[in-house]
Amino acid sequence: MASTATPPPPTPLSFPRPIFAALTPHPFLHAHLSASKQKQPLRANGRTAHESRQLGVNTGSLTHCNGSAVVRVGNTAVVCGVRAEILTAEEGTVDEFPASSNTNGGDEDEDEEENGYRNGAEDERERYKEISALRLLVPNVELCTGSTPALLPGNAPSAFAQTLVTRIRNLLLSTKVVGARQLRIVHAGPDASLGGDTGGPNPNREGDEVMREGGEGEGEMEIHERLVKGYWTLYIDTMFISLDGNALDAAWLAILSALSDTRLPHAYFDDELEMILCSDDAARAKKLELAGLPVPSTFAVFESDGRWGEDDDGDGEGEGEGKSWVLSDPDTFEESVCQESITVVVDCSTSTKAQIRKIEKSGGGVVDREVMKMLVKRSLERWKEWKKTLSTNSRAFF
Amino acid sequence: MAPEALLSPLHRADGSATYTHNRYSILGAVNGPIEVQRRDEMPEEATIEVNVRPAVGVGSPKERHLETLLHSTLRSIILVRSIPRTLVQITLQIRSLPEEDAMLGVNTSLLILPHLLHTALLALLFSSVPLRAIVTSVLVAIPFTKGAGPLLAPSAKELMRAKPFKSIHVFAFSGDRKMLLNESDGVFGFEEWDEACEMAEEVCCKEEGGVGLGEGMEVDGQSATENLEQWLREVVKSKVEREQRWRVAT
Repeated sequence: MASTATPPPPTPLSFPRPIFAALTPHPFLHAHLSASKQKQPLRANGRTAHESRQLGVNTGSLTHCNGSAVVRVGNTAVVCGVRAEILTAEEGTVDEFPASSNTNGGDEDEDEEENGYRNGAEDERERYKEISALRLLVPNVELCTGSTPALLPGNAPSAFAQTLVTRIRNLLLSTKVVGARQLRIVHAGPDASLGGDTGGPNPNREGDEVMREGGEGEGEMEIHERLVKGYWTLYIDTMFISLDGNALDAAWLAILSALSDTRLPHAYFDDELEMILCSDDAARAKKLELAGLPVPSTFAVFESDGRWGEDDDGDGEGEGEGKSWVLSDPDTFEESVCQESITVVVDCSTSTKAQIRKIEKSGGGVVDREVMKMLVKRSLERWKEWKKTLSTNSRAFF
Repeated sequence: MAPEALLSPLHRADGSATYTHNRYSILGAVNGPIEVQRRDEMPEEATIEVNVRPAVGVGSPKERHLETLLHSTLRSIILVRSIPRTLVQITLQIRSLPEEDAMLGVNTSLLILPHLLHTALLALLFSSVPLRAIVTSVLVAIPFTKGAGPLLAPSAKELMRAKPFKSIHVFAFSGDRKMLLNESDGVFGFEEWDEACEMAEEVCCKEEGGVGLGEGMEVDGQSATENLEQWLREVVKSKVEREQRWRVAT
């Protein structure tokens, strides 16, 4: 009896790994997570549940962009290029923000100081408004043909790509890594002798000071409202060469590195030609400064009684019903068997206390407040890894 | 102010609902289970398709994002495995938005998300698609001003008055008090988030002590406005009562 009973079990297990994974992905991952004898359960890709993939960043590889980065997170490879174009402030566009660049700006600054919240010298709402209303940041995501098997070439951008673009745009706008002040092309006014001198190492800083002085005197307001002659519009194109899960984190890493690598040429308004000119001098080009370092960490929740409940009852007898694992930095295979996903964006750079900038969670009910606390902790650890990677690759952050 | 719901306004859809709250008005329709296209068919579970139509113009990436969020939330409450190889199609048409919507300076998709979820749930309830649980959702806005407390399910006017905001949160809870969806935006610490989450749970889910039949019904004038699950029960109750009129009359 025993001899007849023993042969059957090896037969299902004698499948090669890839076939087991392709046929029954959910039991495959479940077997991995529950079978290992160590304290830390191992996933199918050899990582522990908490382990993220190594980050690789390479900036400045594209010559025709103002800033670029090639990024690898495991098998996910992303190229990001930032291209800056000038948006001339027509009469209409400037009129939309005359108050916000002077009067309101001052008021808001005071309000924020009262509340003990500092966000540079710029008021937060106006910055958001200007960048979002004029669409100064234009992210785009493209999945290359062959980057993932799920992608059908030649189709319109998939819902996945569109969702990703929206999330990235929301993240760019809500974390405010790029301040509107850096994107403004400011003219000191015809009567000010600063006209030519604004081309110092940091022209916008000086321009801003001029605006602030003007903000105090009521009479000068009229002149300074005409100061903003144009804006830099940043086209942030992100391209996935290969997609192996966790698209948002990889894309954001590429975008942050590319933005930190971005140099904007010195642009000034020429009174005689009455147009914005850019100087060729590379030394006068200005590096884009990023406010803060928001770092997203994505997690996926794997539930043992998920979609293939019946199969699991046979597999893991010892495991109680509804056992779940929270996997950091999931790859494509894990994303395909996990329903619930969580993204936590944290930033520790702007203040001593860790700030959460965004939490996105959908798809299931495993993560409650207790688990979320742990995830925020894990995200803070991930933040340190990002900071280390980015500071070794670019000097923009520190 | 409790949301207003008009059930089954569309006669050809399997389930439909009109939902109005804080001057957000949405029409939702559910068709299902219906035949699924071969390419979308899943052998072990139902395919769910969510379409969000904006009030003006055609859908944009912003609507795709909302659809993705709704899709993953609704998939966890629909018993997808009991109706395999079928399609459940959910269409949500935004009919009107408050005028202040665009001027608030916050992410507008967060403001409409709870309303979309409620509309989808009401339409699903009356389409007889098997559901595991109900879902209720609420928006929590925390203003910058120190004295002002968090706003729960605020109207656009209240938001206008209280802006700018430190953080905006949307939470959705299932009937068994599980957090199904959370979108938080802004600058906040974990304690603030935790507090917002607790507040949202109180609004969304019925008090565990008051599960009884009588108590909740008697004070419905008061508590129905405060508790979304109770509001939902009232909506369903009035609908069922109306449909059972013929019995009561005899």
